[in-house]
Amino acid sequence: MIQDFFASLGEKIWQIHCVTSADQALELLKVRKIDLVVSDVNMPMLDGIQFLHILNRSHPDLKKAVITANATEEKRSACLAEGAELFIEKPRSPEGLRSIFIMLEELITWTPREGFQGVLRRVGLQDVIQMECLGRNSSILEIHNQQLRGRVYIEDGRIIHAQAGDRVGENAFYELLSLPSGEFQLHPFELPPKRSIDGQWEFLLMESARVRDETIAAQASANGPASAPGPAPADKSSALAADLAAQVEETLICSGQGEPLYAWQCPNTSARITLLQNVAQQAASLSQLIPLGNFDRLEIQLADSRAVAQVKTDRMVFVRVSSGSEKTARQSNE
Amino acid sequence: MNDTLQEWLATGAIASGMLGCGMRLPDATCLSYSFNELCPREGLDQILHQLAETTATLAGQGLAPRRLTWTFEQGQIFLFPRPDGALLVLATQPNTEAAENVDALAEEFFSLNASH
Repeated sequence: MIQDFFASLGEKIWQIHCVTSADQALELLKVRKIDLVVSDVNMPMLDGIQFLHILNRSHPDLKKAVITANATEEKRSACLAEGAELFIEKPRSPEGLRSIFIMLEELITWTPREGFQGVLRRVGLQDVIQMECLGRNSSILEIHNQQLRGRVYIEDGRIIHAQAGDRVGENAFYELLSLPSGEFQLHPFELPPKRSIDGQWEFLLMESARVRDETIAAQASANGPASAPGPAPADKSSALAADLAAQVEETLICSGQGEPLYAWQCPNTSARITLLQNVAQQAASLSQLIPLGNFDRLEIQLADSRAVAQVKTDRMVFVRVSSGSEKTARQSNE
Repeated sequence: MNDTLQEWLATGAIASGMLGCGMRLPDATCLSYSFNELCPREGLDQILHQLAETTATLAGQGLAPRRLTWTFEQGQIFLFPRPDGALLVLATQPNTEAAENVDALAEEFFSLNASH
């Protein structure tokens, strides 16, 4: 009766296959493409919950609904935990059947949202971006809190555009990554309205960390001496404005044990790794001579460029960039 | 070490947030001043010798520094090497007058005569 009723409501769009046991259903799934499985809970041999468990493993993308005359909260929880999208009590009237038909049709046409969701307090935004870039993925990272909403566009592992409120480009990127908390969603990639960023992602992440430190330090300073100490800000000569015009000259990322993970235009990788290890030793030694807390970074101001060496327990990073101001000066001389 | 350098280092570097300062001449003689018990003179002398080696190591990798900034949670250590081999080291607390004045101090250091 239900088959005829749903077939009439579905205007022949639905193809309904009825079976009387779980094993018959599994056999049918092997030979027919099925969009939706509607199951009872009380079935011979294999009950509906066990059936859902098997379906979840064998057909993880298949949509599943449960209709039962004996709907208890315990069964509802078990079915939903095993992957059922709907758990419905069997109706006792044609009107109830019509409601179920509408729900099932909605379930068939429903497309799950692609992407992930997370909360910045629990998952590091930098980690997500790093994973996307290292994996050479393409995606849009939407970030928002009560004050600000923005997007970071990643194409083939390169950060190509960012917008935050009215800002675009690296300024927007740094602002988004300086947010103390918020939420983000990772969406499928779409072409951005423009390409406003062409720097290396490693440098962008390092700079965003520095900008965030500066923001925290500025807030601590504004709040007075009682504020919690944070990493010291970079000095004014390396202000953000100049950095925005900077160009990455070389990059090296290696594990805490010195195993190279990523090198770009690095003239001598092993020498640079030795340098990073030396920096780690020197920082430890300096900490013993003057107790200034944990080491954050070493900045090396060179004649025509600037390098940053950051040493953490799990990784070491070396980035050298041409100085924006000096590059501008060279261009004006030319 | 000449009196001019000593006087400049003792008076010129004093500022709010300055933990200590030191100078190493090309002949490896050191002079340092501590303005905070966290930063003893002996420690500054050791830092000067240690960072002199670091500067040479960096130069060997084509990274001859004009300035090194070691940033820690609660302070920074600046090192300014001169072409003649003299070094100036400044240890400052963050967000202080001393931290903001390091560039001005370095300019004076570069213009001083370090010869005996």
